[in-house]
Amino acid sequence: MSDLIEELKVKLIEILNLQDVTPEDFDANAQLVGGELGIDSIDVLEMVVMVEKDYGIVINNQEMGEKIFYSLANLADYIKENTPGAAS
Amino acid sequence: MYLQAAGIISALGSGLGATEQILRENRSAIKPLALFTPLHGAPLPAGEVGVDFFDQRDPAALPRTHRLALAAVRQAMADSALLHPPEAVILGTTTGGILTTEQLLKNKSRQKELYQYHGLHSVATCVARECHCTGPALVVSTACSSGVVAIALALQMLRSGLYKTVLAGGVDSLSRLTYFGFHSLQLVDQTGCKPLDQNRQGMAVAEGAGMLLLTTEKPDNYLAEILGAGLSCDAYHPAAPHPDGQGAFTAMQNALTDAGLPPEAISYINLHGTGTPDNDLAEAKAVRRLFATVPPLSSIKGASGHSLAAAGAIEAIVSTIAIAKGLMPANTGLQHVDPLLGVSPLVKPLEAPVQTVLTNSFGFGGNNGSLVIGAPNGSVSRAASPQVAALAIHGYSCLSGAGDTPSTINRLHAGGSVAGMTEIDTLSRNLPSRLVRRLKRLPRMTLSLAVQAHLDSDLTELKPGSVFMGTGWGGLSETHDFLARLAESKEQFPSPTDFVGSVHNGPASQVAIMFGATGPNITTSGGDYSFEQALLAAQLMFDDQDRPALVLVAEEGHETFSPLLDASINNESALADGGGAFCVNRDRKGAICCISLPFYKSCEAENVITDLVKTLDARAGRRDYALILAGIPAAMHSQAAPQLEEFTALLQTSAPIVPYRQLTGQFACASAVATALAVSLFVSGTIPGTLTGGPDIALTESCHKILVLGLGQYITAIELCRP
Repeated sequence: MSDLIEELKVKLIEILNLQDVTPEDFDANAQLVGGELGIDSIDVLEMVVMVEKDYGIVINNQEMGEKIFYSLANLADYIKENTPGAAS
Repeated sequence: MYLQAAGIISALGSGLGATEQILRENRSAIKPLALFTPLHGAPLPAGEVGVDFFDQRDPAALPRTHRLALAAVRQAMADSALLHPPEAVILGTTTGGILTTEQLLKNKSRQKELYQYHGLHSVATCVARECHCTGPALVVSTACSSGVVAIALALQMLRSGLYKTVLAGGVDSLSRLTYFGFHSLQLVDQTGCKPLDQNRQGMAVAEGAGMLLLTTEKPDNYLAEILGAGLSCDAYHPAAPHPDGQGAFTAMQNALTDAGLPPEAISYINLHGTGTPDNDLAEAKAVRRLFATVPPLSSIKGASGHSLAAAGAIEAIVSTIAIAKGLMPANTGLQHVDPLLGVSPLVKPLEAPVQTVLTNSFGFGGNNGSLVIGAPNGSVSRAASPQVAALAIHGYSCLSGAGDTPSTINRLHAGGSVAGMTEIDTLSRNLPSRLVRRLKRLPRMTLSLAVQAHLDSDLTELKPGSVFMGTGWGGLSETHDFLARLAESKEQFPSPTDFVGSVHNGPASQVAIMFGATGPNITTSGGDYSFEQALLAAQLMFDDQDRPALVLVAEEGHETFSPLLDASINNESALADGGGAFCVNRDRKGAICCISLPFYKSCEAENVITDLVKTLDARAGRRDYALILAGIPAAMHSQAAPQLEEFTALLQTSAPIVPYRQLTGQFACASAVATALAVSLFVSGTIPGTLTGGPDIALTESCHKILVLGLGQYITAIELCRP
């Protein structure tokens, strides 16, 4: 699980170009969207693309999206639960 | 102003009659896309123009956008009673010839001439040729509000008294960029578009064109009167509307004020109503706030789809159909109205007299525009109120291959070349990294220029309220990267960020967000004359007693695109880019100098150089000129050189002439760097001999004007003088 979190930290820093953030100071439980990092709806869509591309999971429901992207930990949980072939 | 004639083409059909018919029948023209076949999944619903409506005589190389524009222009200009060509053309378009470019890139074509219709300005030039207009051909690109903003600008041009007839409109064709772009933002309703419905999930991307021939002289017969226009900017987010519809409210309110009408005078509201959850909610909130009693209202986008820059013009024409036929269109596609909206859209067409219509268009960048359109003889049109006051420059900045303002200006004063690409660190230096993390080259340049020009001024306590931006080619990096990733991922994973960044008005909307600039926010795109177009727009539309405006232009050099698209950039020559920004108001007190644009005509206009000299003579003595900076785009050298020769022979000035592109390099908005140079000379008070190759010249009371001349396809003159 923590491997996935670490992996996601690196990916998000890259795709969202979070220049001032390092994986070490990326709080997995902090509010992701609308929080300190200035992540907004366009970033969410960029993350949606990444999740589909890299993990094969489609997120196309706004309400669900809000929960999934609430924090990096939530996102990791969702990916883990929905990865094809993963034990649930 | 009188709407003398109009042309319309959309998924609904071609012509006013066909459009009226389908609206009367409350039928939707939205169908699965057939224009191109997506590699994955079923084609999404779209509003596509039928193949029969294109004129088969159009040259094969002409992109679909141009052909749509021409179809609408031919309708508008068909009336034999129209004896004179329009004096100006103003078009709204967001993607120009992109559909053709996409195909060329797919085929890996490197043939430069095939890309000649890519630029937005090529659509306006094509339209101007078709209707024999030799005046300015302007392009407004403010995303989905472009059509309305073009009409608003035309209205102000006519009111200025400088023009009697203007052809204004909007056009966009379907393209992969917009089809996949809006889909990547999850803004497309896969079940078809149903604006204001409880179950609405988005828009249907569409295409079309609307053209309106506007005149100040009352014709015997005319369709309607444009009574007023209102613009605003949310200054909130690059893509999402302000949640309470603050900008939408302001635009509608400004349009009513401009028309001199109270809200209760409106008989029908034609909503922007795209069908996206956010737009419809924000717009409904704004309508309820403005109207104590909400008049009948509807969005036609459930029938037509959303034709982006064309939508505002198309719906202005639909508004005139509503007036002429007493027919208020239904909100096609609506099944269960969303109770959260608190409005009751028309579920079927309503036949009743319509005196006055309010029509809305809102776009990315929080760019909002509203028009008030009235029945013929319904009211008295506002008399022309000539805008003569020049803009006063209080601060300036520029970027070039030499670096920031001081580096650029110092080298230019020494007569050295500043050609080259601005270092990325230079243009990000004064910008917080969190703010610019998503921004590529063009928006960074723009923000950097804006911040510097404002800081340089004596108006730092007042944040700019209006933004007038010019760019010849827009965000090339974003457009390139979007299409590249689309192709690489086999159409599966295009970037939403790049799509939002690809709109020409993206950079200006970033400036608005940075400064909280909620006034007019207009982006023009006129190829080599983009700065001149932005200046013209500012001259006409800047109307703020308190807050200054920013007039700014930026151009990015792009390795792949610039040599393909810009005729003046050859593969082998080094890329150059940069830009300039000017913090302006109408108060000469404390200003560095004043700026105006007294001349803008096509090189095809009869006796154009004589006409230019006459215009300049009427404004100043020939000895007033201290310096003439002449812009000769490399691709236009064979036309521009004799133009300059004729000009110097006629003007008989002793002022030195400096062909500035030899110093700035070749890029579309080089004239903004030349203008920044001119401003710097007013600061120093001396024109150095190192720049002109002659003696130093002091800027004095009697020798106090600098001319920035544009040559080539258009002949333009920017005049700068002591305040």
